[in-house]
This record gives sequence, C-alpha cells and structure tokens, in this order.
Amino acid sequence: MARSAKTALVLCLDVGFSMSNSAPGQEPPFQQAKKVIQKFVQRQVFAENKDELGLVLFGSDNTKNNLAKDDQYQNISVHRQLMIPNFELLEEIQNDVHPGSQQADWLDALVVCMDLLQNETLGKKYERLNIVMLTDLNTPSSPDQLDIIIGNLKRAGITLQFFLPFPVDGGGSNPPHGGKALSREQQQGLEMTKQVMMSLDEEDGLEEVYTFSDAIEKLSVFKRVEKRPMAWPCTLTIGSSLAIKIVGYKAVCEERPRKSWSVVDAQTHQKDDIKRDVVYCLNDDEETEVQKDDTIQGYRYGSDIVPFSKVDQDQMKYKTDGKSFAVLGFTKQSMINRHQFVGTQVLKVFAPKDDEHAGVALSGLIRALDDLKMVAVVRYVYARNGNPQLGAAFPCIKEKYECLVYIQLPFMEDLRQYSFPSLENNKKYTPSEDQLSAVDSLIDSMMLVEEDKDGVKKDLFKVNHIPNPQYQRLFQCLHHRAVNPSAPLPPMDPWLTTALQRPLAVATRCQAPLEILKKKFPLKEVVKKKELKTSKELFGNSTEEPDAKKAKVDEEEDFNLADITEGSITQVGSVDPARDFRTLIRQKSLPFGEVCQQLTGRIEQLLGNKNMNYYIKCIPCIQTFREQSVQVGNADHYNSYIQSLKTSIPVRGLQEFWDMLVQDALTLINKDEVEGSTFSSHDAKQFLTAGEKKEEVVAAVVDDTGDVDDLLDMM
Amino acid sequence: MAQWNDYHHEDEDVDGEERDESGVDYKSTGRDSLVFLVDASKEMFIMGEDEEPSPFDMTMQCVRSVYTSKIISSDKDLVALVFYGTEQSKNPRNSFKHVYIYHDLDLPGARRVQDVDGLRGEKGAQVAGETMGSGNTNLGEALWCCSNLYSDIKLRLSHKRLMIFTCRDTPHGGDSERDRQARTKASDLKETGVVIDLMHLMKPGGFDVSLFFCDVVSPPEDEAELGLQMEPCGKLEDLQKRVRAKEMKKRSVARLNLCLGEGMNVAVGVYITALQARKPNAIKLYRDNNEPVRTKTRLYHTQTGSLLLPSDTKRVQVYAGRQIVMEKDEVDVIKKFSDPGLELIGFKPMERLKLHHHLRSAVFIYPEEEMVTGSACVFTALLRRCSVRNVFALCKYTRIRNSPPRFLALVPQKEEVDDGQAQIAAPGFHGIFLPYADDIRTLDTPQLPTASESQVDKMKEIVHKLRFKYRSDAFENPVLQQHYRNLEALALDLMAPEHIEDLTMPNVNMIDQRLGSLAQEFRDLVYPADYNPEGKTAPKRKPAEAAGGTEKKPKVEMSEDELRGHVQKGNLGKLTVPVLKDACKQFGVKVTGTKKQELIDALTAQLTK
Repeated sequence: MARSAKTALVLCLDVGFSMSNSAPGQEPPFQQAKKVIQKFVQRQVFAENKDELGLVLFGSDNTKNNLAKDDQYQNISVHRQLMIPNFELLEEIQNDVHPGSQQADWLDALVVCMDLLQNETLGKKYERLNIVMLTDLNTPSSPDQLDIIIGNLKRAGITLQFFLPFPVDGGGSNPPHGGKALSREQQQGLEMTKQVMMSLDEEDGLEEVYTFSDAIEKLSVFKRVEKRPMAWPCTLTIGSSLAIKIVGYKAVCEERPRKSWSVVDAQTHQKDDIKRDVVYCLNDDEETEVQKDDTIQGYRYGSDIVPFSKVDQDQMKYKTDGKSFAVLGFTKQSMINRHQFVGTQVLKVFAPKDDEHAGVALSGLIRALDDLKMVAVVRYVYARNGNPQLGAAFPCIKEKYECLVYIQLPFMEDLRQYSFPSLENNKKYTPSEDQLSAVDSLIDSMMLVEEDKDGVKKDLFKVNHIPNPQYQRLFQCLHHRAVNPSAPLPPMDPWLTTALQRPLAVATRCQAPLEILKKKFPLKEVVKKKELKTSKELFGNSTEEPDAKKAKVDEEEDFNLADITEGSITQVGSVDPARDFRTLIRQKSLPFGEVCQQLTGRIEQLLGNKNMNYYIKCIPCIQTFREQSVQVGNADHYNSYIQSLKTSIPVRGLQEFWDMLVQDALTLINKDEVEGSTFSSHDAKQFLTAGEKKEEVVAAVVDDTGDVDDLLDMM
Repeated sequence: MAQWNDYHHEDEDVDGEERDESGVDYKSTGRDSLVFLVDASKEMFIMGEDEEPSPFDMTMQCVRSVYTSKIISSDKDLVALVFYGTEQSKNPRNSFKHVYIYHDLDLPGARRVQDVDGLRGEKGAQVAGETMGSGNTNLGEALWCCSNLYSDIKLRLSHKRLMIFTCRDTPHGGDSERDRQARTKASDLKETGVVIDLMHLMKPGGFDVSLFFCDVVSPPEDEAELGLQMEPCGKLEDLQKRVRAKEMKKRSVARLNLCLGEGMNVAVGVYITALQARKPNAIKLYRDNNEPVRTKTRLYHTQTGSLLLPSDTKRVQVYAGRQIVMEKDEVDVIKKFSDPGLELIGFKPMERLKLHHHLRSAVFIYPEEEMVTGSACVFTALLRRCSVRNVFALCKYTRIRNSPPRFLALVPQKEEVDDGQAQIAAPGFHGIFLPYADDIRTLDTPQLPTASESQVDKMKEIVHKLRFKYRSDAFENPVLQQHYRNLEALALDLMAPEHIEDLTMPNVNMIDQRLGSLAQEFRDLVYPADYNPEGKTAPKRKPAEAAGGTEKKPKVEMSEDELRGHVQKGNLGKLTVPVLKDACKQFGVKVTGTKKQELIDALTAQLTK
C-alpha cells in the first residue's frame, strides 16, 4: 500500500452573523465551530502526516474566490489554499478569523470548496478528497442547483462532513438546544443537508453529520499516529514433523512518544551550539585522561573484572539459528500465573491471510487448547540474532477471528521469590465480621460494572478507552507553547482530569459506606522519629542557640557514622554498651541513674558468660562508666556498683576479671575527682589492693543466672 | 518491528524505566550481606538414603547456586562462608576455636565459585575433611566470629542476614553453658540488625527446633503467635527454594498510600517479584592494566568552547517546522499529574480483566503497618472480600512525583503454603498494569476457515501427548547463562566454558517419539497432499532455501522443449527471475549478471545456437 497516500481537505466555516447568535449563557455557534477547527488543525499538525488542508470562510465581509463574478459567490473568501497545516495556520485561525456581518449561501460555499479541491489537486495523487462544512444552516439557499452539485461531488469522489450546532435527527419539533426552535431556513437547510448526505451514502450518510459539542469532545483527544502493524511471519512447529505457517502482530505494547527532546543552548536555542563529549579517565588522583582507543571492553563477574573483547564475545555468545515459534509442550492454563508475565508486549498470532490450510490447522490447535483449557509453552525467537524467549501461547476465540495470544514468561533468573508474613494467622490484623461487612458495602457501592435495566452490562471506567494522559498533556503543552512562546504552561485540560478520576456516580454512591469504613477501621499515621530529628531538632532551634549547636556538632565528630545511620539509640544495647551509654548520657533523654542501671545490667549479662572474650568487652564499659560519671559529677552510681561488684567476685568466680580491673586501675572515684564522692584518693587506691589479699574462697561456679538479678536488686 | 535494531532499542528504553522501578540504588541504601554458617560436624557428611546427597553436599550446592545467582542478579551483595564444628580453626586472630572462615565477607567471584565447587560431592567431603576436619562445636564462638565479619566491613550494610545450615538440633550436646553463650551472642547479633535464619536439614528422628534453635533464630517477621514452623528440608530442591526465598532482601520500589477515599489512606509497599534479568553493561577498561576507567560526560559550547551547566540548556521538539522550546523543569513537570500514591477508582468482576492486557511485569502490593497503623487490618479485610467475591480493585498508580499515572488492576492473592509449611504464594495484591487506548493496536484480522470437530479432536490427542507441568522457575535464560559461563571460563583460565543446557530448545526427538503417527494423521486431516507448510510464503525466497536444504524442492523443472518454445515465441520475459536462473543452471548457461534481461539474453543465446 502506498504510504504516501494523503488526504486533501477543505474546512468550510460559516462566519455569517447568525453564527454569533446564541441563547443567553450559551457559547455562540461561531465560537464552538472555531474551536472544532482549532482542535482539528492542531491534531493534524502534531500528526505530521502529508495531509493537506484549505480553509474557506463564508458570510465574510470580503470576497476572495475564483468563481466570484458580478453578484455571484459574494462574501465567500478562500482564506488558505491547500497546504500542509502548520502553526501559522493555527495562529491565523486564532487571530484573524472573526465573525462577519454578512450572510452567504452555504451551497455556494460548497461549490467554491469543490472548485478549490479540484483545481489544486489536479495532477496529484490523493487517497481522499473531503469537505468539512461548519454552519448553522441559517441562510436561505436555492435548492435548484442541488442535483448538479450532488452529481459533481459523486463524480469527483469528494466526501462531505457536516458540523452543526444541533443534532440532525432532533429536528424541528423538538428543539434541542436552549429551547430555541430552529428557524425556517434552518429546517429547510437541514432537509437539504439530509438529501445531500443520503444521496452520497444511502445508509451511513447521516453518520457524517455531527454536532459541534460532540466534535469538540472527540477532537480534544490527540490521536496518536497509528503505527501500521508489522507482520512477523514464522512457522509454528511441534516436533520435527508438524508445522503451521503463522503471522504474528504486536497487539498490545506500551506506546512511546515518537519524538524525544533534544538539548539546545539556552540563549540561542541552537542544537549545534552544544556538544556533548565523553572522556575516559583513570581512577587515580589526577584523573588522567585516556584515549578511547586505549580502552577495552570488560564485564564484572562478581568481584572479578574480566576483559572480554567484542570479537571474543560475539564468537562465544549464545547463538540462535533464526526465528522460531517452537512448541516445547502443553500445560494447563491454571499453571501459568498471570502476575508472572514478563516482557513488554503481547503478540497475536494468526495464519497467513491467503493460506486457508494453515488457517484450518491453526484453528485446530486453538480450539483444542480452548476446549482443554491448556496453553502451548513455546520458544520464541524474533530473528537470527535475537534472544530466545520462553512464552505461553493462549487460545483466543472471538466472534470474528481466532488467534493465539503470545505472552513472555519469566526465566528462573527473573524471579524474586519473596515470602511475606502471613496476614491470615495474625490476630492483630484479623478483621471482625463487622469490619468485613463494611468492606463489602464499599465494594458494592464502588462496582464499576453494572447492569442496566435491559440486563446489558456497562463498564463505567474502561482504561483501554482512555488515551494515554501523558501524551495528551504533552501535546497540549507543546501546542500552547508553540503559539504562545513566552506564556507559562497552561493548566491541565479539565476533561483529562475528569477522565482519570473515579466516575462521579461511583464517587457519590460510595460516600456513606466510606464514612462507615473510616469509623470501623482506625488508622494512625506513624510519625517517624528520624524525620522529626532532621527537620525540627537540627534546624528548628539553630537560630536560638548557635553556640549550643556548634558544640553539639563538635562533639558529634567523635562518634562514628554508625551512630547516625543506626538510628537513634534509646537504650544501652549489648553490642557496644559503652558507646550506647555515652550517647545516652549526651542525649540526656533518660535520667542519669537509669542509664547507669542499664549499663550495669549489660555488664552483668556479659560477666555471666565467664569467658575472656566477654571480660575484654566489659572493661571499656567500666572505663566509660567511670569517665562519664566524673564528667557528669555524679560518683554515686559508679562507686556503689564497683563496691558491690567487688564483694561478689569470690562468689561468682570472677577473680580473673577483677585482676583486669586492677591492671587498668579502674578504682573508685575519689573526692578530688567528684566533689560528692565519699572516698579520698587513698581510700580509692586501697580499695583495689585490698581485694587482692582476700583469700580465694570457694570459686563455686554458680551456673544459674539468678544471681545477676539479686545483685541488681542490691544496688 | 521493521528492524531488529528498532526492536532492540525499544527494549532498552523500557529497560531504563524498569531499572528505575527496581529502585535498588546502592548509594542510598547500602549493600546487602549474607553469611552462610555451615555445620561441619561428622553428622553433616552422612549420606542420605536412596543416594540422597549428604546434608553438607546439599548445603554446598545451595551455596554455589546462591553465589552464582548473586553474581548474575545482584553483583554488589557481599557473601561469606564460615564453617563451625571444625577441627581446624581459621579466623583473623585465631581467637575462636573450631571456627573456619572459608570465605570472608566479600563479593563472590569466579574463584570463590570454584572453591565451593571443590567442596561438593564425595571428593568435596574428602577435601573438607582434610582442610577443616570435624571437631568440637561452639556455636557461640562461631556467631561471635561472624559478628566480627560484619563489623570489619567498612561499607554501609543495609541488610544483614546469617543462615545456619545444620542437621543437629542440639549442637552442644546438652552443654547448657555453651547453649547460653550461643543464645547471648545470637541476641547480640540480632540487635545489630542481623537476621538469623535456620536452614535445618533432615536428621534421623526429626529435627526439634524447640530444643535449642528457637531461641537463636530471628522471630518470624509477623510476630504472629502462629509463626510458620517449618519442617526440615530433606531435598536439595526444597532447600534451594527456601534459601532463595530468604537470600534476597525484600525491597519495596515505593511505599505509598492506597487511598480508598478522602481521608482513608492505607500504607502499602510496592514490590517487584518478576523482573527481566539482563546482561549487565560492559565496562571500559584501560588497556595497559585492565583497570576500569571512569567516563565523564561534558557539555560544552561549540562556539566559545566553554563548559555548559545543565541550566545553560533548554529542551526542544520540532513540529511542522516550528521549534518548541521548554525548560528542563517544564519538561519534567508536564509529566506530573498527581502526588505519588495508589488511588482506588472502583471494583470490577475478575472476568473483566483481559488476559492480553499486559504491558510489563506486575508489581506486588503488601501493607506497611509501620507507616500507618491499622493498614494491615484494612488490607486484610479488602484482600479477603475481593478474593471471596472474585473482584479486582482498579487503581490509579503514580509511582514517583513526576511519573504519569498508570492504571493497575489489583488482583487478590491468598496465602498458600506447601506441605513443608513454606510459603508458595504470599498474601497480597498483584498489580497488573492496564493498557491505555494508545497501547492497543488495531489489527486487520484475516478471515479464514475454522477447523472441523475431527481436526480439533486429533489436535487434542497431540496436546494430550505433550502435556507437562510448567514451573516458572524451571527455565534458565540460556543467553545469560552462556554469558556468565564465558566470563567464568575467562576468569578462571578454563580451556572452554562449561556447557550449558538450553532448556528453551524443544526436545524434538522426544516430541516426535511421543506423537508417533499422530502428526502425520493431523497433517492428512488439515493439509492437502501438495501443501508444504514449511515452504516460504514469498516465492522470491525459494532459491535461498533451495541452496540450503536439498531434500524438498517442489520447483517447477522446465523441460527443454518448453523452454525452447518460450524462446521461439519470445516470451521468456514472462518467466520470473528465479525460474530463469534455474533454467540457466539447468542448461549450464553461465551468467554474469542477475538482471532479468541478462538472463534472458544468455538463455536465448544458448538455446538458439
């Protein structure tokens, strides 16, 4: 088929004074018609096809056409000859097309359009010639030429479309818009329109007559240029002796914008003014640049980096021997999980158009699979150097055709088998009957598929009828920016916003059940401590106490990053009790005594293990305990703990540990260090040595952990 | 689809987006780490009945498959292999007895895979016996040793997991001191965020988790009173499945609100459970030392040569000859429709979900109780009722701030467990991406006759003969496997890469054998005798095929007389080029060109001699 096939189209707009008349509160027909034209031209511009467009105005104040002679064909102006539409045309329509103060016969205008089409398409090839007439039919016209005109239209193969402010079948008796009945001229014009349309196409002629409002709605949607489906001919094979010729087509595939953004210089808006340049450099301090030619290709294999040249790679890589659609076997449809579909497309597979035998054979397979509720698992290779895929071919039987639907299935490497905590077995999450019925009524109220009174099911929200909002918005903005280069981007089209929302009927219906649901299920947002800290604690008070903040930062440098990353410390843990202890003291979020108690608890726990490794861990704890106590100026907790520890040494067989304490001179805190202490420095020294002389009494190892608690109680 | 390249590019485009979606950005989240702590006691080396591999052997196979799968699917994760209950000790300061660090916490590489391979099978057991031996067990020390592995890592670790493989439920044989020590150490580890899992293996008389290990392992995530009590693994397959389920950290690509209506927000996490694994991009190395080089991209002004900042540029698209200019920010903001989240539109009966409405891999939705308390309860109620009533929820999905909306069908999935109490289907909703009008292409469907009942019945017999049980994890990607085998071979200086079995290839012999005469019978039913289903439809390709295969040539051999007739009548021109070429061959006419006139001239010259 010729790709260059194009359409020539003339827009014929009535700008006569009656087009400006409207019932109060209503948009005049002229404005509506102008919108239709704008939307249409806009769509054509972005479609970037070769279709040509002309614009004829009638009822205009001036006259400009080839047929105008004497008083014939007056007030009809050819505004634009046949041309590929562009933004200039859009601007002209926006700025230069205004309602006129005259009237002209729409049949005359039609003749001018036909003349224009015929003259300008002479000797060129067009697939279709079309005239679009936008008028309120409010001018008297002479029907005597009608037959000749119809004859000419037919002969030239020109098709006709009408856009009217009122519906064609609503007719005179039942005024459709604003209660304003049609004028006599309009009724007459309507009859003539019907006559023309019916004689051009007896059956569907009237389907080419639209109302303005309908058209605006339909044209608001930017239609994407249809991609011609590309056929993928192949052979379906089952083993070596059964083959069926097939043709595959992409049926569903995420459509992407055809054009991408290119980068230009901000000042000149020139693409050529910018150059992108990639340099390679070594990973050293100087970032030494190296030439591209001095680099080779490699891959990571875990920790290894393996140089692997393109040549080697091509030679060693997995190779397929051409396209394939080979059946590996058949399996139950229920074995294929829909949520495991991968890939980005769905193929529909038919037999070739002209091959009846293949059609019968494929139909046999499709029907067999459909009856048995099975699918074919196939190896699919697109082309010689394509990667093989594994996929499922589902049977699909429609009223008008039969086909296989091919969808890719995952490889083992593609799957992530996560397991999630059970929701059923958790009492906390188990909803009550009451709650379940609240959910039920929500579902009832929000069903999008409903049956009307004739039992016909109606879907209120068909996603596959919504145009991709991303492109709609993109084209809206592009259009706006093209015509108004310096204005900010326009707000989203209201129709688009509405199209993406819960349908109004459903939204109203679900109000009550939703309120009940809210009452039945209490929800509470968890405020994260971390977030609080970043926003409030760090910045909130910085202005009030700059010094304090600075001190805080200085202090913080002592602590490693882990502190920050592990989140806030709320208690003394067992991993690094000393660090936790320090942090907690600094944070002052807990009373000093309590933090000390937490620390001693941990120390006791560690000592309970009676192992050198644990002892080693305890030493820094006690060191820190002492250090911090001195800093804070409170020796009571430390001193009393060390004293009680000492008394328990013989009973618990901790002599080894005590020796270590002595070695590190971790003695009592004396008066010189902290005022409140009851010990002199001499007492403190004595304290350690005194213990040494004590006889090593029964080192009966008490296995029980009970004593730890006792000890803590004593404190 | 016109060009392979086009096709490929499309794929890559999607790839970019998907990579976005998988959201695993190590810079911001840190790395995952996994320590295998394997019992090396004598019991582990006892072979099972019926030639079942020993627990040790099974474990090594598992470790190996995790190593290789990490290399393929998450090559930034750190893995370590530590044995306990060994005779020999090997750890940094050798301060822990009977603990043998086989592999430090690091990226797995080719060498490591080879090491683990060396521990497999009978030979492997021997090697293990020689290098490590079996000795005393002190799990506490082993755990301590492992905790040092974690703390020695300078990188930020986001997820820390430790798997204990053992077939002994009382590792210390009743030594309560050691038991306690192990428990303490285990709780230390857990406190630093290490998740401890038990991969317990079959033991004669049954493995009793409650004797000791229940206090060591991390509690199940759900803190449910009825946490899943798993049976020990007897089979490699089960073990692998269980390890695989835990080995990767569940990472949500987004945590969002599922908005049921105004003021009713349920917090959910969005997960990806199937994502096409692809060959990683090649990296550039410096020729002299094989070190990776960094690439820097610079933007500069062609006229002035000065470097440009992103703010010095704008974006354009050209339509109808007009350049339309926008700021980079504007280009981004055009894509914004609503704040990130899932917005409930309504519900539809399940049959409204069309099979062929597939665009990309589905996502999995699970409640996030930690963000909004009460979420799990609403979610569970919704899940249950949707499931019972066989409806799906239709939602508008905005993943991040500037991503345009997509619609998802939330399909309920109830939890399912297998006989061993392992989860085979997680509770939650699958989010199926639905196509917009633009994504659906209109095709002209050919009008062709349909099959008769007897033809369909014959095909049913064929289908019946070739039934199999499909399992989604049964097929490896041959392209990826080959790529990694190649790299492995190069890294280890092997002579040739290990052979891969391509499971995507049909087993033609087996199929033919199973079908027997059925294929012929079906052919007889649907094809006329002279029909060749394998012949190319386009006649111009015939010679190409003839050059390759010689057995079937339904070619029109032209007799000399016929040809002479054509020559005399002067209507050789009516024949096609391939026919003329064949004729040339037939009569031994040498032709230099391939143009039709040249062929005709040559033939005429020959035959009018």
